[in-house]
This record gives sequence, structure tokens and C-alpha cells, in this order.
Amino acid sequence: MKPAPFGYLAPRSVDETLELMASHGDDAKVIAGGQSLGPLLNLRLATPAMVIDLNRILELAGISAHDGDGLTIGAMTRQHDAETSPAVAAACPLLAEALPYVAHRTIRNRGTIGGSLAHSDPAAELPAVVTAVRAEMVIRSRSGERTIPAEEFFLGYFTAALEPDELLVAVRVPAVPARTTSAWQEFATRSGDYAIVGVAAVIGLDGAGVVDRASIVCSGIADVPRQLSTAQSALVGQEPTSAVIAAAVAAQHTDPPADLVGSSSYRRHLVGVLAQRALEAATERQEGNDDRPTG
Amino acid sequence: MAAVTGTSVRPTAPPGLIGTRVNRVEDARLLAGRGRYVADVTLPRIKHAAFVRAWPSHARILSIDTTRARTLPGVVAALTAADLPPATLVDGNWIPGLAKTPQPVLARDKVRFVGEAVAIVVATSRYVAEDAAELVEVDYEQLPAVDHAGRRPSGHVPILDELPDDLIYDRGESFGNPDLMFRDAPHVFVKDLALARSMAAPLECRGTVASYDPAAGSLDVWCSTQSPHLLRRRLSAASGVAEHRVRVMMHDVGGGFGQKIAAHPEELAIALASCALGIPVKWIEDRRENLMAAPHARGQRVHLKLATDDDGRFLALRARIVGDAGAYSFNAASALIEPYITARVMTGVYRIDHYGYHVAAGLTNKSPVAPYRGVGFIAAQTARELLIDEAARSLGIDRFELRRRNMIRPDDFPYRSCTGLVFDSGSYLEALTTVERMSAYDDFRCEQEQARASGRFIGLGISPYVEPTGWGTEAMNQIGWHSFPSNDSARVSMDISGKVTISIGTPSQGQGIETTLAQISAEVLGIPLDDVVVSFTDSSSAPTSLAGTRASRAAVVSGGAVGLASQDLRERILKVAGALMETDASILTVADGVITDPSEDAASMTVAEVVQKAFQLTEIRSAEPEPNFTATRFYDPGATYGNACVGAVVEVDPQTGGVRVLRIVGAEDCGTVINQVVVEGQFIGGMAQGLGGALLERLAYDENGEILTTTFMDYLLPTSTEVPHFEVEHLESPSPYTWRGIKGVGESGTIGAPAAIAAAIADALAHTGSTVDRLPMLPEDVRAMVEQGEDRG
Ligand SMILES: Cc1cc2nc3c(=O)[nH]c(=O)nc-3n(C[C@H](O)[C@H](O)[C@H](O)COP(=O)(O)OP(=O)(O)OC[C@H]3O[C@@H](n4cnc5c(N)ncnc54)[C@H](O)[C@@H]3O)c2cc1C
Repeated sequence: MKPAPFGYLAPRSVDETLELMASHGDDAKVIAGGQSLGPLLNLRLATPAMVIDLNRILELAGISAHDGDGLTIGAMTRQHDAETSPAVAAACPLLAEALPYVAHRTIRNRGTIGGSLAHSDPAAELPAVVTAVRAEMVIRSRSGERTIPAEEFFLGYFTAALEPDELLVAVRVPAVPARTTSAWQEFATRSGDYAIVGVAAVIGLDGAGVVDRASIVCSGIADVPRQLSTAQSALVGQEPTSAVIAAAVAAQHTDPPADLVGSSSYRRHLVGVLAQRALEAATERQEGNDDRPTG
Repeated sequence: MAAVTGTSVRPTAPPGLIGTRVNRVEDARLLAGRGRYVADVTLPRIKHAAFVRAWPSHARILSIDTTRARTLPGVVAALTAADLPPATLVDGNWIPGLAKTPQPVLARDKVRFVGEAVAIVVATSRYVAEDAAELVEVDYEQLPAVDHAGRRPSGHVPILDELPDDLIYDRGESFGNPDLMFRDAPHVFVKDLALARSMAAPLECRGTVASYDPAAGSLDVWCSTQSPHLLRRRLSAASGVAEHRVRVMMHDVGGGFGQKIAAHPEELAIALASCALGIPVKWIEDRRENLMAAPHARGQRVHLKLATDDDGRFLALRARIVGDAGAYSFNAASALIEPYITARVMTGVYRIDHYGYHVAAGLTNKSPVAPYRGVGFIAAQTARELLIDEAARSLGIDRFELRRRNMIRPDDFPYRSCTGLVFDSGSYLEALTTVERMSAYDDFRCEQEQARASGRFIGLGISPYVEPTGWGTEAMNQIGWHSFPSNDSARVSMDISGKVTISIGTPSQGQGIETTLAQISAEVLGIPLDDVVVSFTDSSSAPTSLAGTRASRAAVVSGGAVGLASQDLRERILKVAGALMETDASILTVADGVITDPSEDAASMTVAEVVQKAFQLTEIRSAEPEPNFTATRFYDPGATYGNACVGAVVEVDPQTGGVRVLRIVGAEDCGTVINQVVVEGQFIGGMAQGLGGALLERLAYDENGEILTTTFMDYLLPTSTEVPHFEVEHLESPSPYTWRGIKGVGESGTIGAPAAIAAAIADALAHTGSTVDRLPMLPEDVRAMVEQGEDRG
């Protein structure tokens, strides 16, 4: 469990990093918190010739709120800093709710928001969360910056829509629309483990208490965060009672893969249980929501 | 978060060091990160080793090419079996009917499990060694894997040519007349239980530093082992270096739990590499190697049948047990240690006169099985206690009551079980009653009803047990294991300052041995605890222990030897003191390092003064011709059996199958308690480990015999968030057959907890009509119980 030999570079700015990424291309890997890349190197599952360390690049860390218009979270923001940020709690409560489920406190002290997203593990919490809140990924290379919706960022197991010379610099989270609430539910064998299945739910109601937006995104059941689109459509236009939620969830077909921690049918069952719980929890939060329509 | 509440009842000893809750003397070192492990050992010219390990589970080795590896800069050597003297591991332990299959130190013609060592690369660093290991090219011809004991794959090729059916043991025995009793029994209950493979997973993996000095012809070895003297024998046999020139040294060992009892192929290979190269070689095992290739454990299927009368009286028991031995049966009769012990202890704390068992053990293409804390007991305990609960439910008798009706009673001692175990003393009924009180059983039943009504499912499980501890020759004979030298000697030496050093062959893996043995010696000698140290074991100076630290034995056997040696030393000191003080030695008392003559106005001398004078004054020699203050005593105790009862409360989420352990209570009886802190550490640590076996831990293989659980992301140990609050009470039934009535407690909690937790799950889901049929009960398994209930309507 010792890594294969690799070179090490520690640039101090994003521009310098982008230059290095361009010149090393496929042979290089950037390292953020190292909480996933470290084990991969030690197990020799990743054997880059060069490791480019992002930890000295101060401009990549930090959370900025845009005055009621959402948030930008720098890629190198530590997961624990996001978890305890009042700005995140206010502007993206779903992220704040899901973060404590990412590994353990000591790992979140090092692990970064950008690292978790770029790593693109379909079992991870954050990819499902950013998909559910319709966040945007801000990506830069030497040739410029581009922004893509979260939905298009996760391409497959450990594969994000990033070219070898591209750096994820930030994630941009839109403001929570009025009368919109959310919840995270997951089930893991031990606390801190990757969940067997996780569900992010976002529910928006119109003035009449009828669902006008539903996002239900699962971790752990496909090669990317998986939206339950049938259930989403079934909810829209309905009042989200338990029975309505149950019918919508039951209408959803899923075909999760089997592995060591759970068979396909067990995972499918968990999707139903956790989606129900997450949607009910999100709906209940409408009660305390100031924007709740009266009458 | 884990917490402990401990209370002690019925103290047997008057206030003295034995029986006193003193803090562990090793903790200052261990908790401050000052422990010294094999990885900390470094020597001039030392080089680092990595093993090339087999990736197929069963294959012929066609060729091994080390050329590329050897030419990598920094590589000193790449050695295969062909480069080392032929060496295999097989021990002298023996059970009639057991086929032993020696394991080569490095695989020669064939590999038999994923992770088997095929070659060693020695280099300037572990990094370079691993780089080079990847360059060793091994050509394999793959063979079908035997992944299940007793099941042949198509195209089956025996794992060992001499064993065409892969079976290493296939025998049974009958006691009383179970056939007749089953034929006439009004009720027969049946239970199947499968225990997954799991393993000890010590925090410190294995490791060895070997240094052969060609000039002196000596071999120095530092090793993370539980049995330094046993290892020395194996090292000598493999290397040809005579035993007195082989020295095994130990510092701290970061956990063993049985995994480090046997000498391992890797340890011998490293020593042979050092001999071949004439330089010190260091191997520090990593977690992946440990999970793949260190000995595994459990892996049993138990089929159990219980006959009762209408009142629930146990009439007879029958067991069929199949054990998965792994690829070799090389050490401590290891391949059989699981199923055989299961069979022999199956009747537990109950009066059962008619019993029959059949045990089969087969080789599989998996890592060999070795003892792991609670070896064999856990399968017996869990299968039996679950079956008793199922019988209770079916007969409509309360679970506590059914056990009470069948338990061995206080006036039965000494009680001879039908398999020949002679239970010396114990508190079986009292432990059960204590757990009934601690778990507030009546209140619990109401709470459970109310919870069920509101859709919450909680359950209580109880697990009373007896376990052989100490394991002297007599206990070995009782269990039917006739060739296992299980005695210890201890040397207690007082230096000129009046302080004591204890030397033993049973090193500590953190259990608290340094504290308890010092307590024993200090109490007997009448000196302060701080004046006694237990030295790290060095095979060249420590008295021989061929068993080492294992099997809940160190407190009983080493403790007895230390007690006896300390008594000898005390007599010698008092004899000299008597001469110096011109009084009869037999009236002298000693406390806190001061010897007092009660007759002479309480005249006194310190122990240190006596020792110093004895060295200086030749006159003393008329009273004590050889005033040396070292005593060595041998001890082989009678058979002794500890007991305990564990109760667990769990909550089950029927929708996810998630299980939360809310509470664990235990009443333990290890005879005379030397130190409650240490006993609780052992008991609670054991229960936490048992929780892992009940809910989390299993080594998984695919159908090709490839291991899937090679990191702690896949092999799940209990962490602080899974381990509940523990409450412990101490009962004390001193053994009539051991020094000061001490019994062992090292394995206790591990044995009791899995059955209690499994039974609690079964209780929580009793309404489903489903039963627990495996360990661990992973969430999906628990969920399956609920679904089976739903299917039944
Ligand atoms: C014991 C343990 C338990 C864990 N449990 C969970 C869990 O329950 N849920 C969960 O989600 N995660 C879990 N993790 C993973 C952890 O959350 C990681 O922190 C996270 O997945 C990666 O973040 P990082 O900053 O450490 O990234 P790194 O490990 O440094 O990098 C991960 C990958 O992303 C790439 N990368 C990093 N930053 C960028 C960037 N800005 N642009 C482009 N590419 C980039 C790297 O090249 C690498 O390929 C666990 C980890 C451990 C060790």
C-alpha cells in the first residue's frame, strides 16, 4: 500500500495550475483533500506520473453569497467549512443537511467540495445534492472558463465532464425559490460509510399547495446520480400527501446494480423507502416555511 | 458513544492489591503514542521487504521470472522458493483424525489462496520493494476454486494431491443415548446457522524484523507475535540456526486476538531472506495483506436439533457442523479449531446428558483459518441460544424461565458435562438473574409492546455461557486436545534496590497483563505496585511458554506462576530478614515494602535494606546459603471455567433492515477479580468485537475464490458510533483449582455478545415468524426477515 513513484508540483495560483495541467495532460492528477486520491494512490489504482497539489491556491477556497441569488462555493472549500457555513445553511440547506453524512469529521476537515464532485463517485452525497438543486459547475482551462449544469457533469463511475487540462474551480448554487424545501435521507451500514442508497428531495409548491417542482436524485443506484424522473413527473400538479408520494415513488422503475453491500432488489426497495421519507420530510418543512401559501 | 458503568459485588479478598481497581500501568505509554512496535525497530543496513502475492485462488505455478524486478535500482534481491532452503510450517498439535497439510513458506509449485506469498523482494525502501514486486512475472495455470467446504466445483482439482476430497476431518461422537431420546421426545426443535468468515483485524498488522549475523551464526528477530517461544522453535527449524542462537524479542503488540499465535509463513520467509542475504530485513504488513493473507476465522455452518419434554426440559441435543479450513491446516490444529471446539462446548451452561455431534472440515481456496478470540465458542453459543429462544416461543415458556429450568445449579459443582468438561465453580443462575434485573426485563416487555403499537421494533436478547479458561493440561485433556503444552513459568527477580522485575513468555497485546501480574507480585511480596515491572519478552531470557498469550490463559497460568514465584521470593526475603532481625521469620509481616516484627516493639526494616545486607554480609549465609533474590516457578493449573451472561437491546428499522444496538448489559464471573478496570476492558472490548461479528464483519469471496474485502471500506469493523453504552457487574466464583481462584476473561465478551444481539433482532421481529439464520446479520439480511414475514402473510 505504497504509491508508485510520482512527481509533485505545488502551484500557487489557478493560472499556474492550468499551465501545468496543459503541459502534463493525462499524466497528471490534481490533488485536493486527498481523501479519495490518497487511498487510490496507495492502492496503486491511480498511478499518475505527476501530482499537482491544489492546497496552496488560496483563491480556490471560500464561499460567496450573492445577495439572495445563490452561492458560489470554491472547489477547495473544505467540506467541514461548508457544513458549518451560515451562508450555506441559508442558501442551500440541502447541502448543509447532507454534508454531515460525508465520511467522518476528520475526513471532512481535509476533503473538499470540488474534490468530491470531480471524483464523481455515484455513491457520494454531493453529486446527488448538486444535481437536485440544479447547481452549475464552473470549469476552467488555459483556453477559458465554461459552465455546465450539474446534470451534465457526471458522466459515469468516477468520470466527470472534465478534460485532462480542465480544473473544476467552483460550484454555483442557485437561490432557493420561494415555497421550496428539501431533505436528504440515506441508509448506510455504519455511520460515516458511503450510503447504500441516498436520496435528495426538493419540493416546490405553487400558491395553491400543489407541487410545481420536484427533484428526486439518488446516490448508489446507477453510474451517475440518478433522477427519479417518473416519480418527479407524477408529483407535479398534485398535493404532496403521503399517499400521493407513495404512488409517485411506486411508479418509478429503477434498476440498481448489485454489489457487496446490497443486491439490486434491496437497493430498489431502499430507494422506495428513502424517497418516501425524504419527500415527506421535505413536505413537512413547508409547514414552517414563511413562504407557505395561506388558505 | 461507548461508555461503561461497572459495579462489583461480593468482593472475596480483603483490601489488598488483588481485587483493587487500579489504573493500568501500560496506559501512560500506550495512550501517549509511546508504545514501541515492530515498525519502530530499525538497525544498521536494514532493508525492506514486500511480498509478491498470488492473485489467482488456485493455480499451478508454471514459471516465476524475477529478472526485471532485480534490475530495478534500489533492489537488493528478489527471492523465490527456489532461492531459499525448503521450509514448511506444520506444528506438533494433533487431534485424532485430523489430516495436517503443511504450508510452504513461499509457494513452490502451486498457489492455493489469493494472497499466498510467492516471492519476496528486498529493497532500500518498502516503496521500491513494492515497485519491484509489480515487476515479478508469475505465469499461472488457473484451476477451479473450491469456495465452499465440501462442495466441489466442476473440473475439481484437489487442493492437495493427497486429499482427493479436500476433507481434513470427518468424525463424530455420541454421549449418552441421543438416538433414543430423540425417538421418544415430545418436541424437537431445529436450527441452522451459518457464520461468515471474519477475522481478528488487529490494529497493528503483522510484522517482522529479522537480522542474521553470519559471523556469530545468530538470528535476532523482532516480531508482532503472541507466542515468542513457539516462533523461536519454528524459526530454528526453518533456518537451521540452533534454538539458543535464535532470539525473539518483543515490545508492544498492537492487538493479536489469536491471529498472532501461530508462526506465519511470512515471518519465516523474512528470517530466511535475512539468512540468505546476511543483512537485517524488515517486513511490516499492510492492511490489504492482512485482510487477504493473514489467518481468517469462523466460517462455519451449524445444524442443531434440540429435544425437550412438555415442560421444556432439555432431553437431548444433536449437532452437525461443517468448518471451512481455508487452504492449509498448518498451525495449532487450526483448521479444526473452529468446528471441533464448537462441537465440544455445545451443551453450554445446561444439563444435557444426551448429545451427539458430527464435524466435517474441508479445505477451501481461501486464507487458512486460525484461532480468533472466542474460537468455536461463538458458533455454539449463538446457534444454541437462538434455538432455545425459538423453543421457548414455540412452547410458550418465558425465555429466562426456560433457561432457568435447564441450567446447571450451584449445588451441581463440580459438574461434569456429557462431553467431559468439569465445571469447577460458577454463577450461572445468578448471572442470568442479574441480567434479568439489569435489563429491567418486565419493564422492557411493556416498553416493547408500546413501541410495537407505534411502529417501532425493539428486542432483547440474552446469552448465558460458560467457557474454558486458563487451558492448562487438564483443561486440554477435557476438551479432547491431547498434545498442547499449556503451562507457563515466570521469573520474579528483586534487584539490590528492592524493586522487582517479572519475566514471562506471555507477552502483552495491550490486555493489561503488565498491570495484573505486577499487582499479584506486589501483593504477595508486600511492596508497592510501582516497585514491580513486567519486562518485555525476550525469548533468550524469559522462561519458556510454548503456548504464549492466548485462550484467556495469561492471568490464570502466568498469573499463578508469578504468584508462586513471588511467594518463594517472599519466603527467602523473610528468612534473611529473620536472621538480620534475630527473630523467627514466620512471625514477620511485610506491607508497603516494610518488614515488621510485631513482637519486638514493631521493629522494622525495609525490603530494600534486607536485600542490600544480604549481598554485603557473609554472616547471612548461615541462614540463607544462596541469598539470590530470583525465583522461577512453573505452573500448570487445573481446569477452570469462567461464566457470564450478556443481554442486548436493539432497535430494528423494519423498512431498511438497519439495527441499532441501544444497550448491552453483562454480568461476568472470572473468579477472583485481580483488577476490575482490566476485566471490564477485556469484557467490554470483547463485546464490541462480538458486535462486529453479529452485525458487520464478513470476509467475502467471489465464486472464483477472489477476496472482495481487502480494505476497511469493505470489511466493516464496529466504530465508536456503533458501539453502545455498556453496563457490567462482576460476580466472583473463585476456582478451587487455580492459584487464588483466578479464572480467565480474555474471550468472554466476544463469546456472549453475538448471540445476545442476534437474539435481540429475532425478538424485535418475533411477530414476523422469521428467524435469524446467519452471522453477521447485515441490514439486507434483517430486511429479508421482514419480507419473509410479509410473504407468509
Ligand atoms: C473513510 C472514508 C470514508 C468516506 N466516506 C464518504 C462518504 O460517505 N461520502 C462521500 O461522498 N465521500 C466519502 N469519502 C470521500 C471523501 O469525501 C473525499 O473527501 C471526497 O470524495 C474527495 O474530496 P478530496 O478533496 O479529498 O479530493 P481528492 O481525493 O484530492 O481528489 C479526488 C479526485 O478528484 C480530482 N479533483 C480534486 N479536485 C479537483 C478539481 N478542483 N478539479 C478537477 N479535479 C479535481 C482529483 O484529481 C481526484 O481524481 C470517504 C473517504 C474516506 C477516506
